[in-house]
Amino acid sequence: MNGAHAARAPLSGISVTGTPLTGTLALLRHAVRLDRWKLLPWLLVIGIFPTVSYSVYGSLFSTPLEAKALQLSLGTNPAFSLLFGPATDLGTAAGFTAWRVQMFGMFFAALMAVFTVTRHTRAAEESGRAELLDSGVVGRHARLASAVVLAWLASAAVTVLVGVALMVAGSAPAPAFALGGAFGGMGLAFAGVAAVTAQLGSTGRTANTLAATVLGVGYLLRGLGDTLDDSRWLLWTNPMGWAEEIRPASENDLRPLLLLLAAALALTLLAAWLESRRDFGAGLIASRGGPARGTLGTWRLTARLNRGAFWTWGVVFVALGSVYGLVATTMSGIFNDNPFVKQMIAFRLATEEQLLFAFVEVLLLVLAFIGGVFGIQVILRFHTEEDEGRAEWMLSAPLARLSYVMPTVVLAALGPAVGMAAGSAALATSARLAGSELDTAQVVFQGLAEVPALWLAAAVALFLVGLAPRVRAGAWLLLVYWLLLTMFGPVLKAPDWLLSTSPFHVVPNVLESNPDWLPVLWTTLLAAALLLAGLAGYRRRDLMSR
Amino acid sequence: MAAVVSITGLTKSFGRSMALDGLDLEVSEGEVHGFLGPNGAGKSTTLRILLGLLRADSGTVRVLDGDPWRDVVTLHRRIAYVPGDVSLWPGLSGGEAIDLLGRLRGGLDERRRAELLDTFELDPTVRGHAYSKGNRQKVAIVAALSSNAELLILDEPTSGLDPLMEATFRQEIRRELTLGRSVLLSSHILAEVESLADRISIIRRGKVVETGSLEQMRSHARTNVAATLSDGAAGLTGIPGVEGLRIEGSRVHFSVDAGGLAAAMNVLSGHGVSALTVTPPSLEDLFLQHYGERGGQEQGQRRPQ
Repeated sequence: MNGAHAARAPLSGISVTGTPLTGTLALLRHAVRLDRWKLLPWLLVIGIFPTVSYSVYGSLFSTPLEAKALQLSLGTNPAFSLLFGPATDLGTAAGFTAWRVQMFGMFFAALMAVFTVTRHTRAAEESGRAELLDSGVVGRHARLASAVVLAWLASAAVTVLVGVALMVAGSAPAPAFALGGAFGGMGLAFAGVAAVTAQLGSTGRTANTLAATVLGVGYLLRGLGDTLDDSRWLLWTNPMGWAEEIRPASENDLRPLLLLLAAALALTLLAAWLESRRDFGAGLIASRGGPARGTLGTWRLTARLNRGAFWTWGVVFVALGSVYGLVATTMSGIFNDNPFVKQMIAFRLATEEQLLFAFVEVLLLVLAFIGGVFGIQVILRFHTEEDEGRAEWMLSAPLARLSYVMPTVVLAALGPAVGMAAGSAALATSARLAGSELDTAQVVFQGLAEVPALWLAAAVALFLVGLAPRVRAGAWLLLVYWLLLTMFGPVLKAPDWLLSTSPFHVVPNVLESNPDWLPVLWTTLLAAALLLAGLAGYRRRDLMSR
Repeated sequence: MAAVVSITGLTKSFGRSMALDGLDLEVSEGEVHGFLGPNGAGKSTTLRILLGLLRADSGTVRVLDGDPWRDVVTLHRRIAYVPGDVSLWPGLSGGEAIDLLGRLRGGLDERRRAELLDTFELDPTVRGHAYSKGNRQKVAIVAALSSNAELLILDEPTSGLDPLMEATFRQEIRRELTLGRSVLLSSHILAEVESLADRISIIRRGKVVETGSLEQMRSHARTNVAATLSDGAAGLTGIPGVEGLRIEGSRVHFSVDAGGLAAAMNVLSGHGVSALTVTPPSLEDLFLQHYGERGGQEQGQRRPQ
């Protein structure tokens, strides 16, 4: 390869001796131009979310005591620690902000970096875009280098944006930039992770999935480190834990940033080494040929197309459920340590069982969110077929529109429900194995009570695909809105009518003596209505052509 | 001959842009009908309406005596389609894709399938993402030709095929004709249409501007004449229908329409013609009559039809 580049360079008359990095800057400029509109939403969301949180703090708690009370009541439920990290200091605006947004920011900054790197490496090779660029005067590692540097620049921009925006809102510089640093540091490290996974998978999708898996495992490990007794060391096993150890607002310790930076550099070097060991377009995980004959029909085709998502989410459901179950065992320890809880139990405001179930409810909500993602994904996967021109070919055969879409509808209805059942069963089982007194049937029942909300999410997606396919991504926004509202709405004292716009919020607690199922029934009916409208729309509308 | 496709006054617009503007088209049973026009003229839109993928705004459309929007399933048992830009499932092999389409239409001709894979030199075990553009096209061609459809709707089927494969394709289409099938072939490759089509429709801006067999089209198009004469060519200027007369010494060049051809020949023989080349208009000439003067309005007006 080197020889080829050396031979090409004099022809173009730019440089006679090319290095592996020749042309990086030119490629970087090109990548920035391609990506400016794609990166902007990420930067804005990650940059502005903390400031919003910081600004509403003042209106949230009228006295410092209220904030302290919230901190104590959050302490009764380790689910919050598991999901968002420990709430160490809710007494200040900066501390409150750090607790509320740190995990989200870290997660999204990492995803931003992963998608950016994959887009310009593996996905570009796949689409043939890279071939055009690589035939110019560029060194062997120039494209990889430009992609990683672009992701690093974006990560640095996140740090600066978060820091400056928080300072403008009134924060001191130290916590502001510590929080920004935790986000940016994650971006740096995961740009490195994605650089490696881009060498491993032979498609952009595989590369993204591998990197996201690393992120997910890191998130789980740090969650366990935060909640299980004597397992703080788990925080030091992965980048997400390191970034958390910066502890913005409480410690502002920037030393873990060095670890993240070192990881970023080491992983990028590893990626470059791997890159010189593979051919253009090929991954180290090779793709094989397929069978010469097939027996697929519409049902099996749908199963085949969603197979990857089904097993991925299935594993996520069971893994998350099991891990969450483990955490349930630390509950009694927490109850004993927490004076607030002791009081609540002493005054019979709550039983230990109720507190435990409140914890489980929050975790089931996370599982439900994943179920919602799965359902929407199945529906939008169906639309991808149309978008990429395969639906046109399928529908040129004797196949009615409704018969074509039906397998997708069934899968979107059953898949998330099965996942929810498996996840909540795993949660209850692992909790019981670890010695907790949760009732398996109750937990699974509570989990299944969330299913109509998942149907509604999928039905919204199908409604959009049938009637307004151009804005189908709106289904994602709605799901995120529901999650944020249900998770944080009560903490932020959102009014009841607002909270009730989320189908997840209106799910009753099955332990209550007289649970109110009416809202769940409404959710189901609304989902059915949207489904029918979506199907009617799909049957009647023009097929979108490329 | 019965019509397998008959369209009158078809219109279709997407938002503000008018894709089809009163299109008429008729395909007879057992013929290859060439549907000729550049990209964006409305060919694919017409084909998609014939397949019930798009809904017509107005006009009447009949395919195999059915309504393409209403009778989708029954009609599609008798129609096979090759899209203009075939997109395959990245994870499915070509063989699986062919069999999927075959299964949807309730089975395919096994012998024909094997034969076609062989003649088109297509490896069915390759996964969708690894096929080249031409090979993706072949997958759809094999799927369509191994069905027992009466009507083949082909949207630029040879785009991406190399010249050898194009020849193979033409051969296979001729074979389909011997089996009594009808073919609607949209294309912008003139040579392909010229060699295959019994009749041709030229589409421009959503309208069919000319339709008929190549011979019919030629008969009312202009013939190019070049001759060497022993004396002057003065008599030629008076003949109606002669245009573009150029005299270079003893050589004359001109074009003449069908009505003026006989008179022109008389004049030439009266001037002692010693060499004569008469070129019938090629399809390219015919096509350019409608498209070549895209910029030049006046030329377009001078040549009605």
